[in-house]
Order: sequence, then C-alpha cells, then structure tokens
Amino acid sequence: MTIDRAAIRGWSARQNRLGRRRALPVLVCGTLSGVAAVGQAWCMAGILAHALAAGRSGMLDPRVLTPPLLLFAFLAVTRAVLQGAGEVAAASAGVAGRRRLRAEVLQAVLRTGPRLLRQRHTGEVAALAVDRIEALDGFFSRWIPAATLAMVVPALVLFAVAVAQPRAALILLLCGVSVPVAQALFGIGAAVASRRQFLALSRLQVRFLDRIRGIATIVLFGQADAEAERLRIAADELRRRTMQVLRVAFLSSAALDLAMATALVAIALMDGRSLLAGGATSSWVGGLLVPRSLFALLLVPEFFAPLRAFALAYQDRMQVSGAAEQVLPLLGEAGEQAAEAPAAPAAPAVRTVVAYSVSVAFEGVSFSWDPARGRTLDDVSFRIPAQETLVLAGPSGSGKSTLIEMLLGFVRPDSGRITLNGADLDSIVPAALAQMTSWIGQKPVLFAGTLRDNVLFARPDATEAELRSALRAAAVESFLDVLPAGIDTVIGEGGFGLSGGQAQRVAVARAFLKNAPLLLLDEPTAHLDPGTEREILDSMRRLAVGRTVLLATHSVAAHSFSGRRVDLNQGRLLGRGGSAREMTA
Amino acid sequence: MNTVPDRTPLDAPGRGGPRAAQLDLLSEEEALPSAGLHGLRQVLGVWRGRAGILAAGVLVSVLALLAAFALLGATGVRLAGTATGVLLASALMLRLLGAGRVMLRYAERLVTHDATFRALADLRVWFFRRLSGSAAGGLGLRRSGDMLARLVGDVEALDGLYLRILLPAVGALLCLPVLFFSLRPGGLWLTIVVLLLFASGAFLVPIAASRLSGGDASLLARRAAWLRVGVLDMVSGLREIRAFRAEDRVLEAVLGRESALYQAQLGLTRRIAVAAGLSFLFGQLAVLAILAAIAGMVFARLDPIAAAFALFVLLAAFEAAAGLTRAGALAGHVAHAADRVAAVGAPSKPAASAPRAMPANDTLRFRAVAFRWSPDRPLVFDGLNLEIQPGMRVALLGPSGSGKSTLASLLLALAEPEAGEVSLGGVPVGRIDEPVLRARIAWLSQATHLFDDSIRANLLLGRPDADDAALWRALDDAAIGDMVRELPDGLDSWLGEGGARVSGGQGRRIALARTLLSRAPILILDEPCAGLDAQTEQEFLRTLNEVGEGRTVILIAHRLTGVEQLDRIWRLSGGQAAAAAA
Repeated sequence: MTIDRAAIRGWSARQNRLGRRRALPVLVCGTLSGVAAVGQAWCMAGILAHALAAGRSGMLDPRVLTPPLLLFAFLAVTRAVLQGAGEVAAASAGVAGRRRLRAEVLQAVLRTGPRLLRQRHTGEVAALAVDRIEALDGFFSRWIPAATLAMVVPALVLFAVAVAQPRAALILLLCGVSVPVAQALFGIGAAVASRRQFLALSRLQVRFLDRIRGIATIVLFGQADAEAERLRIAADELRRRTMQVLRVAFLSSAALDLAMATALVAIALMDGRSLLAGGATSSWVGGLLVPRSLFALLLVPEFFAPLRAFALAYQDRMQVSGAAEQVLPLLGEAGEQAAEAPAAPAAPAVRTVVAYSVSVAFEGVSFSWDPARGRTLDDVSFRIPAQETLVLAGPSGSGKSTLIEMLLGFVRPDSGRITLNGADLDSIVPAALAQMTSWIGQKPVLFAGTLRDNVLFARPDATEAELRSALRAAAVESFLDVLPAGIDTVIGEGGFGLSGGQAQRVAVARAFLKNAPLLLLDEPTAHLDPGTEREILDSMRRLAVGRTVLLATHSVAAHSFSGRRVDLNQGRLLGRGGSAREMTA
Repeated sequence: MNTVPDRTPLDAPGRGGPRAAQLDLLSEEEALPSAGLHGLRQVLGVWRGRAGILAAGVLVSVLALLAAFALLGATGVRLAGTATGVLLASALMLRLLGAGRVMLRYAERLVTHDATFRALADLRVWFFRRLSGSAAGGLGLRRSGDMLARLVGDVEALDGLYLRILLPAVGALLCLPVLFFSLRPGGLWLTIVVLLLFASGAFLVPIAASRLSGGDASLLARRAAWLRVGVLDMVSGLREIRAFRAEDRVLEAVLGRESALYQAQLGLTRRIAVAAGLSFLFGQLAVLAILAAIAGMVFARLDPIAAAFALFVLLAAFEAAAGLTRAGALAGHVAHAADRVAAVGAPSKPAASAPRAMPANDTLRFRAVAFRWSPDRPLVFDGLNLEIQPGMRVALLGPSGSGKSTLASLLLALAEPEAGEVSLGGVPVGRIDEPVLRARIAWLSQATHLFDDSIRANLLLGRPDADDAALWRALDDAAIGDMVRELPDGLDSWLGEGGARVSGGQGRRIALARTLLSRAPILILDEPCAGLDAQTEQEFLRTLNEVGEGRTVILIAHRLTGVEQLDRIWRLSGGQAAAAAA
C-alpha cells in the first residue's frame, strides 16, 4: 500500500490540531509564568537601581524596598507553582494524545481481525501500538506547547521591554528574528543530512540488537571476535559521518547563543554609553534609565529560553511523520474492512439460529486472497448434516484454512453462499455465529495469564464445576500436577512454557467449556509427535460427540476420525465427497 | 456470551504478585540490594581508554560555563558601574567574552558529542564481547531473544550517563567556587546561606529525585512490558479473539494496562515536578537573599556593584543547574541499568585448569553422562551412553522435555555434565580450545539466527573467506540457489529482521546453506523443521539426505517423517538413549 505525502501531512496536521486543544492548560501556565518572570525582573531591577542611586549618599529607604522584595517572593512561589502545574499539564496532554491514538490503532487491529496476521508480523504491529505511540509523547507534551510558547512568551517579554526601554526592545527584536533566519540557513541543509544520519544511527542500534539476539549463532560459528571488530568499525564510521553533519547542525544552536550574547552585550554597551554621555550619575534621566536597562538585561535570558525549548523539541516533531507512515496503512486496512461490511448483501432478517444441532452447506463458494495468484477456493460445494463429521483432506496451501476462516466469518466468499441450518451466514449476527462455533487451530495462542484464565477465556462466566469438567474432559488434569501452581500457574509470555501438546489440550478444554454445536478443527495435530497426537485425537473424538464437526487435516492418524472424507486440492473438491447438489438431489 | 466478564486472561492478577516477578528480569533487579555504584564503576572502567577525550569534553564544558558567568556578570557590572560613573568592564572585554562564550559553547557541543559517540561504541563492543565470551554466549539457546532485547535497552539507557548526568553535575560543582568568590564581598553569612541554598537546589533535590525514581523506573518498565505483552497477545490471538467474540473484553483489558502505565508515568512526572519546583524555589530564595543584602535587610549591606555581579552570576548558575533534577531522576534509572548490564555478562567460565588438547578424530562419545540444569531440578540425563562414528547419519528422537536440546548444549560445551564425559576424538569437549571445537561442529536449529543483513553477509558467517562460487554451491546444495538467483539483488538481497523478507522454509534453507558452507565435519541439526508446514518439512529433509556426504549428521527431532535416510536412530527417554531400528 502506498501512502502519499499529502495523507501524511494531513494526518500530522490533524494530530497537531487535536493536540493543541489539549495543550491549552500548558500554554496558560507557560504564559502566566512568563508574566511572573517579567514582574520579577522589574523587582530586581528596581531594588538594584535604588541601591545604585543611593550608593553615594548611603541612604536606603526600607519602605521603598520592602514591597518589591515581597512581590519578588510572591512571584517566585507563583512561578514555581505555575511551572509545576505546566509540567503536569504537559504530561497529561501527552497521555491524552497517546491514549487517543492507541485506542484508534487497537480498534483498527481488532476490526481488521485475523486477516491482519496474513499481512503483517505480530511483532511489527505490537511495536507500532506500543513503542511508536509511546515515542509520540514528546510531540504532544513538548513540541505542541513549545511551538506556541516560542511565539507568545518572547512577544510578551518584548512588549514589556518596549514599554520600559524601546531601544533595548529593538535590539532584542533584531536578535530574536535572526534566530529563525539562521536556523533556516544552517538548518535546512543540516536537517536533511541529520535525518539521513538519524536513520543511520537507528540502523546501527538495530544492527546491535540483531547481533545480540543472534549471539549464540555467532559464537557457535566461532565468529565472536570478528563480529565485535565489525561492530566497532561500523560504530566508528557512523561517528565520523555523524560528526560531519553535527558540525553544521550545531551552527544553528551557535546562532542562538550568538543572538543572545549579542543582545546582552549590545544592551549593556548602548545603555552604558548613553548613561556615560549623560554625565551626571544620579541625574533624573540616569536614575530612571538604570532600572529600565537592568530590567531589559535581566529579561534577555527569559526572551531566549522559549526559543531554546522550541529548538530542543524540534526532534519530537520528527516522530510524527514516522508514526504516520506506519499508522495510516493500518487504519486504511481497517477502513477497507469496515467499508466492505455494509457492501455485503443486506441481511433480509437478522437471526440467531437457536439450535443445538447445526447443519452446514457450501454452495458454489469461490474466493481469492489475491486475484493475481488465482483462486484459493474454486466453486466449492458440500454439505455436513447435523451432528456428523466431515474430514477435509489436502496438502497445505489447498485452501483448508481459508474454508474454515469463512465459516468463522473472518472472510467472506467472493461468490456462492454458505448456510447454517439453511440460513445464510451473512444473515446471522456475528455474536450468534461466534456462540455456535468452537475452533481449534494448529497452534493455539495462550495469553499471558494463569491457566485458569486461559481456559475461562472461552466463557468467562463458567462455574468452577463446569471448568473442572472441561479440564477433565480435555485431559488437562493429567499435567496439572507437574505445574508449579497447578491451575493457577502463569503461562504464556514470561510464564511457564507449555509443550505443544499441553497447549493443544488447553484449546480442547476451551472448546469443551464453550460447548458449541459446531466444531471447526484446523490441522489440530500438525505439530505434535505421534504419541501426543493420538492422545489429543482421543480427547477430540470425545468432544465431537453430538456435534457437527469439520476437521481439516493432512495427518494420516487424524483420518481415523470417523466420518465422511473429502479431498481439497488447489481450491477444488475431489473424490468421494461429491457436491451439495448431488447430496441433496 | 452475554455476561460482563469479570476476569480475562489479560487482567493483571494481583499486581506485584508472583506474576509480576515472573514477567521479566526486572525481578532480578529487585533482588539487587540497591542501586549501588558497582555497575556504574564497571561502565566507567570501560571508558578508561577514553579518559582523554572525556576529560577534554569536561574541560571545554567548564570553560564554556565560566565564559557564561563572566559574560552575564560583566554585563551586569557594566550597567551598574556606569550608573555610578565607574567603568568596570570595557566594551572590548564584553565583546570578547560574548564571542568566547559562543565559540566555547560550539566547541563544547562538538567535543562532548564526539566523546559520547566514542564511549557508546566502546560500551557496545565491550558488552558484545563480554556476552559472547562468557557462558552467556549460549544464552541465546535457552533465554528468549526478548530478554536480550531488554538488555540492549539497558545498554542504550547508559547513553545518557556522560552527556546528561556527568557533565551537568561537574558544571554544578564548578558553580560552588565561582559563587563563593562572587559572594565574598557580601560577607560570610550571605555566602554560607546562598551556597547552602544552591547546593540544596543543585545536589540535594536531584539526589532525592534519583532515590525516588529508581523504584519508579522499574515500575514503569514493568508496566510498559505488561502493556507490550498484552498487545502482543492481542495481535497474535486475533483468531481466538474473533472466534470467541472477545474483542470488547480484550480491548478493555489492554486499555486497562495502558491506564496503569499512564498512572505510573503521571505519578513520576508529578514527583519530578515537585522536585523541580523545590529546586527552583531554593534558587529564588538565594536571589532573594542577595536582594535583601542589597537592601541592607537581614544581611550586612552589600555594595550594589558587587551585588549586580553576584546576582547575574547566580542567575547563570541556576540556569546551569536547572537540568539536574531531571538528570537525578535519570541517574536512578541509569544506575539500575548499569547494574543489570554488569551482572549479565559476568564471565563464569572456569579458568582453564585442565590441560588443553586436540581431538584425535571426529568420533563423538557420551559416557555415563548425568546432567541437570540446576541442583533443584530433576536430572535430564542419567547414565546416557552414545557413540557416533565419523560420517554417520543418525537421529535422536524424543518427546519435548526429554533433553534433546540439552544434548546439543553438552556437545557444544555450553554446559558441563555433572558426571560422566562428553568427548570428541577421545578428548572431553571442555578441554578442547573453543575455536577448535567451533571449527569441528556446526549447529543448525530453529533458534539459529538470520541476521538483518544481506544473504551474502549471512552466509559468510559460516566461512568468512568463501568466494561467490562457494556461496552459490552451498545455496544450491540447500536447494535455495534458484530462488536467490531470481531475486533482483541476488546474493546482496536484504534478509530483513530475523529473515522476515523470505518465507520460513526459505529462511531455514539459507541457514542450512550457511551451516553447509562451514568446513565443520560434524553437523548438529536441532529440530531444523520446527514451524515448517508438512510439505516444506519433507522437502527440506529430502535435501538433507543429499548433502553433507562424508560428514557426521546428527538430526535431533521429536518424530521422523519417513523420508530421512539414516544409519542409526536413538530414542531418548528417562534420561537414557535406547537404540531404535535403523
């Protein structure tokens, strides 16, 4: 899927808009804090000027000095509170942005459903939903507020200085404007180069991680020293090239330093000169000029601080387009899926088919995953009467799994129709369909959690007695004793590792617990050794009693399952099964 | 499914319970006494070779800071001085200070970044060597790649140590004497009070923050891992979720974990914000003290010009120290990361006590071998006897848990038997020099890693000096040559992460080609077909029949498919090997 630049820009702009709404408290805190800083500078300048003016006479008036001192203290506390509140507000804005995006992504994943697993690697999707979105924290909590504050606060400071000391304000303005100009000058070339460099850096990180993951392979080939040397050379090469880029990129930071130093020196010199020119040190003009110039000087750091924060947060902005490139296709796939759903034939009457026995019929069903690669299923027709078993044989890639995924409602036939008890599959509400079917695949997914939770996944409201009987029926009980904490042992990622056979027993227990009338088995013993396979098949035969069963397998042992057998080859039915038409005729 | 679920597998049962402890190696961290300095000391030891450039970075950064003090102080004095008619700082001096400050800052950035990159490269190479040189080299066989990835995250966490912690801390230390000298005219009292306030803001609060955040960092990492596991479960379990219509409850559970992570993050942010606020207030109090001294209140009256200098210097000092609270919070995390990194690769190989020897031939023999992974676990082998003659093709079968992969570990000298002897050519494998042993035995398993690199680079790992003709021969032997030839970039095609750009079967064949390329006379194939579908598996095993003539081939599997051609078959059970039909 190609994603065009415009879509990425549009998405980034949308994030910006939504983020800015959330960042409002941060902006308020930042602006008020700027106002307080201006007030503090005024107090400091006033006190210092008063002392300077009184320097000769030695007379200081506490009544004049006490109010600014108190005001300074008050403003200090205010600023501390505002800064803290601003930080917490920024973090909340970051949380809000990430929460919204992650919910969007996770919902898109669930909406796309199992189909997603055919297109993407699980690790890739997880990295997107967790790490990519975590990395956007800085965009919402730092970049968005910084982008606005870099305009508002310097403007505020400039205004205050302009009122007190217009010439100093002019200097500040000139120096301030030179910052973005210089950054554009050095920045554009450097930005392109540094993006490429950033890519190289992240590639080195990936390479390091990759080599560590495969360290056993490297050691066993006796290549550890050679690989360490290669790693060192690659890192050194990267450093050399990175430093070349940084030499230019740092010029834009240097421009900011230069602007600030120039402003400081220019204000100090210009006002000092005019003071000296005035001659009289404690003259009325001089007396007024000193606090104002000091005020301007004290505000120089305040003027440049938001610009610096802006420059620092710039890298957070870069994260967005990277995230967009990954999120957009995912949302797009989910969108397609959603768009397809209404296009399906409108259900004449949505029903739930309440039944304890279900018959299944495929009538001329065709399907292809990718039109270029031909049909996965080609005009498939068959019928399974209620409470009977159909064994679907055929090599891998013949379309067995696709056929079962259709019955589960994961995919829809391109043509033909599937019925349960005569009702079109499309007319059955998904929840009712899910209630009617149990499914066991090649490798059941065990969720990180206790064994109990994993079995209860099938039916969270099952009673303890129902759970126990499902465990007994699936022979899960046979290995409970070996587990460190019995049924409450934590399994799955980070937990106790179950063998393939044990995991499959858990899946069988889920199916027993669910007690659905239609049982779909998709190569349930493909990865098991013969002994385990026999035992699992025994449990499954017990499970099959009184249910309608579709067993897809190429295993010879599984064909001992009593029932009719049909062969599927390259999407077509062969042999003894015959078509539904023949059967019903 | 009409009831509201009160528990799902994705819900965290009792946070911090056995579950959390099992989740990852963070539990190991909790076993550490506290974030001691042991790990950090070791990391700094790695950087000893870089002492020159690291020190240069510190020096330039200190000079740049001094220039900042001088510049701000001088501008303040200049203005204040002119007000009283004294010219204390010349225009030339100001201009020089301004230019000096800008240039020193630029130099500081260049030097410190260069030093950081060098230090990082050293750290990674050191970590790699350490991990590969210790018994942990076999780590990849048993522990998951995910845990290794987390360790890499720890190494990356150390990146901030120099630039974001050490340099600002040194800068803040430098502020102390500078403040002392600029405050001297204000008398002893003022000096003591201001220095104490500065030290509280710059050191006390950050240290407190580092103490506070140490626990938070591990909580955060645990909750992030918890979220990651939840999402991973959700994605890999999409079929189960759809089949059981569990979308809503699973989503709810994952979002619950997300909220828990946010809660921890916001808690940490709040604490850091309070610490930063405190640090800021200490600074403001110090300014207030100087202002009071100017006004002649509380303290002895301070000369206004000296006061202007002190005031401006103090403002610069607090700006330099402003980042320390955050650095402190980071330091706690970094110290823990350093401890974990230092602990993991600890060399555990016993000193070469036994005399080294060269194997006489390629006969492999297990004699009455007993083995267990740890004393509290049952014996995997108990009196295992096996002899494999050079050139034999044998299979070792057994259900999972019967010790098949343990057998490979023993052969590769990644583990040592408790009793008995594993020998190659009459010499115990533990007494054979590692390069010699590695050159004799090549290993292929499901865990064999395909690197995110070109096909050529992946193959060359098997024999670094192989020419293209040899590479193609190996690929053809593994029945994958035609596929590679069809790729637009041929041997230079990129394989992707873990071989993601090729199918599972193709990846396994490329790994086989790499194994065949090595000159090792003994091939161990440990469940080489796990995860392949039946058809691909049979084709792969047929390929195996035709390659490696003259070499010993040891196939380890849980079952045979019937297409393998073998000289002998053993079945492993009860810790012993029983001969089965050939």
